[in-house]
Amino acid sequence: MSFKNKRYLGLLLALVMMLSLVAGCGGGGTEKAAVKEIKMGTILPLSGSAAPLGKIGQQARDMAIEEINAAGGIKSMDGAQLKMVYADSKGDPATGVSEAERLITQEEVKLITGCYQSGVAMPSTEVAERYQIPYFVDVPSEDKITERGFKYIFRLAEKTSWRNKAQTEFITEMSKKYNTPIKTVGLIYENTAWGQGAVANWEKFLPAAGYQIVMKEPYPANSSDLTPVVLKAKQLNPDVIMMVSYVSDAALLTKTFAEQKVTPKAFIGTSGGFADPTYYNLAGDACENFFDISTWEPDVNRPNSKETNEKFKQKYGYAMNAEAVKAYVGMYVIADTLERAGSTDPEKLRAAFAATDLKSGPAQMYASETKFDETGQMVNAPIVICQYQKVNGKMERITVYPQAEARPGSQIVWPYPGVK
Amino acid sequence: MGFFSVVANGLSMGCIYGLIALGLTLIFGIMKIINFAQGALLMLSMMISYWLWVATGLSPYILVVIVAPVMFVVGYVSERFLIKPVLDAQKDVREPVSVLLLTAAFAIVLENLCLMVFGADYVMAKTSFSTQTLALGSVTVSAARFYGLLIALVVAAVFYMFLKYTQTGRNLRATGQDRNAASLMGIDITKTYAIAFGIGTALLAVAAVALIPFYYVHPSVGAVFMTKAFIVVVLGGLGSVPGAILGGVIIGLIESIAAQYMTATLTAMLVYAVFLVVLFIKPTGIFGSPYEW
Repeated sequence: MSFKNKRYLGLLLALVMMLSLVAGCGGGGTEKAAVKEIKMGTILPLSGSAAPLGKIGQQARDMAIEEINAAGGIKSMDGAQLKMVYADSKGDPATGVSEAERLITQEEVKLITGCYQSGVAMPSTEVAERYQIPYFVDVPSEDKITERGFKYIFRLAEKTSWRNKAQTEFITEMSKKYNTPIKTVGLIYENTAWGQGAVANWEKFLPAAGYQIVMKEPYPANSSDLTPVVLKAKQLNPDVIMMVSYVSDAALLTKTFAEQKVTPKAFIGTSGGFADPTYYNLAGDACENFFDISTWEPDVNRPNSKETNEKFKQKYGYAMNAEAVKAYVGMYVIADTLERAGSTDPEKLRAAFAATDLKSGPAQMYASETKFDETGQMVNAPIVICQYQKVNGKMERITVYPQAEARPGSQIVWPYPGVK
Repeated sequence: MGFFSVVANGLSMGCIYGLIALGLTLIFGIMKIINFAQGALLMLSMMISYWLWVATGLSPYILVVIVAPVMFVVGYVSERFLIKPVLDAQKDVREPVSVLLLTAAFAIVLENLCLMVFGADYVMAKTSFSTQTLALGSVTVSAARFYGLLIALVVAAVFYMFLKYTQTGRNLRATGQDRNAASLMGIDITKTYAIAFGIGTALLAVAAVALIPFYYVHPSVGAVFMTKAFIVVVLGGLGSVPGAILGGVIIGLIESIAAQYMTATLTAMLVYAVFLVVLFIKPTGIFGSPYEW
């Protein structure tokens, strides 16, 4: 060490001494002078086209961490505070992998969460598995993520196929309840991996439930006109029309269905475009009585849901969405795990995750009971179905199914009555 | 009966494709420039029309009296200050490729400017007739689309007469046939070029007001119609006015009818397949001939 560096070191020491003196005076000399920190990493798309989605995920995590730290941190570890390091995946799998490497080797995080896109989750979880660092997958829903026999991966989100299964069950239940026999189903979907994946699931669940698929119509999402598809649906006249769409195509389809007066027993969307606020701004009244599927809605009948959403709105200026709720609840699941593990040792953390059985606290806004099966998949990931209905002249998404989580006083409109 | 609805929809969409392609075919026919900014300029017209509609609440069709002159000026000015300097610099080059690149760059600039100014939200003008349908017997067709068809046909006819019977029209055609000879006959080429680009852009304003009652507006919407406009123009014959409308109708009908017998994904491919076949059999397009003007 050179003379110059020594001098700086001296200065620094003096400064530290002075500061500790000041701290000692003010704090009355408590034992907790240096509160331990638990460093965690999160991979999110913070730039690029999915940046807004990454941002809301980051805000939801920050809010949960603030609350946990303010409430005294992890008590079994002397009130250790949670600290989150954010890494930007740009929504790109390769970047996600290198960021996971960096978080583990350079930032030395004890745990990773993330990462919005399934495409990023698939390879970046492999990195964590290799380093034996627990990876808590809160949002991505691709089935395969927890089907690869990995030991350190735990997922809070539902599997994609569960949504398609729930849609099928919903049809069966409604046709019984309202005595409207359903025989045929038409599938209209955007023609990339997302739509094709959903159709593969539907082809498994729908015929098994006794429905005949009479129409399978993939279309390019940037089509200039979807009237031909709608006219085809009008000709084939299936009892239920199910769709996978992005925003602009979902709106075009909805409007054209209304124009051409196509009236099946039900229109059922698969989140994505149908859940986007832009969708009902574009489609207007034409989307009335359309169904959509998700895991959380602002009006869902669950403990803590309204309060947390209200607090989030106050803090950031807009409401939470299902992904933000998963990110927020995820932090509480992690806090509960750390509390029980009492250590950041990966082996102990893993065992604690596997033994999770969380039945209280803020995680209630997502599921009444949080626990993982042997593959690391959350067993009770919730699914709700909502319907676009007009409340006091304003179009709202109203949670209608399952009964227990439906908005109190809500009524399902079934079969589809057509456009007024 | 269902079939006639399909045909009616194909016709109305096709005419609108043709209307969008008119400007492209004019600019190519006269200036021999492939205008890659056509889609972006259409988007700009739609944005302006939409926000004017929001501001005034008038019928979008009436707004054409504001949007078309505005877009004419935009076209005229951008020709004068963007395209002309590059054309002049490449005067002796046989294939002025730089202009093509320039229009592509212009498109990118316009799209990002609109993204900054108007934001990335999808918007749609919800007029009183936006969700109305017209029923002729059992044939139903969206009112907004049907009006679009009428507008396209009227505009194409007027535009054709304008080219055939007015002095400016004759100047335009002469310049298109032979730039140097026209110049020797005393036609101001610089001005004619700017007028051609201005009119080509103003025609997009007409297409824009026809579109906004039933189509969403977004900074990326140009790309949706751009590729189609190119196919329409080449199919109908580069530089031909009736060719553009006919090409549009062919594409519209293929899209609409074929989709009843195959998936929409395959239909999108079929359009290109037909396009290729026409290029093999008649490379100049259906109405194409170098002396059309």
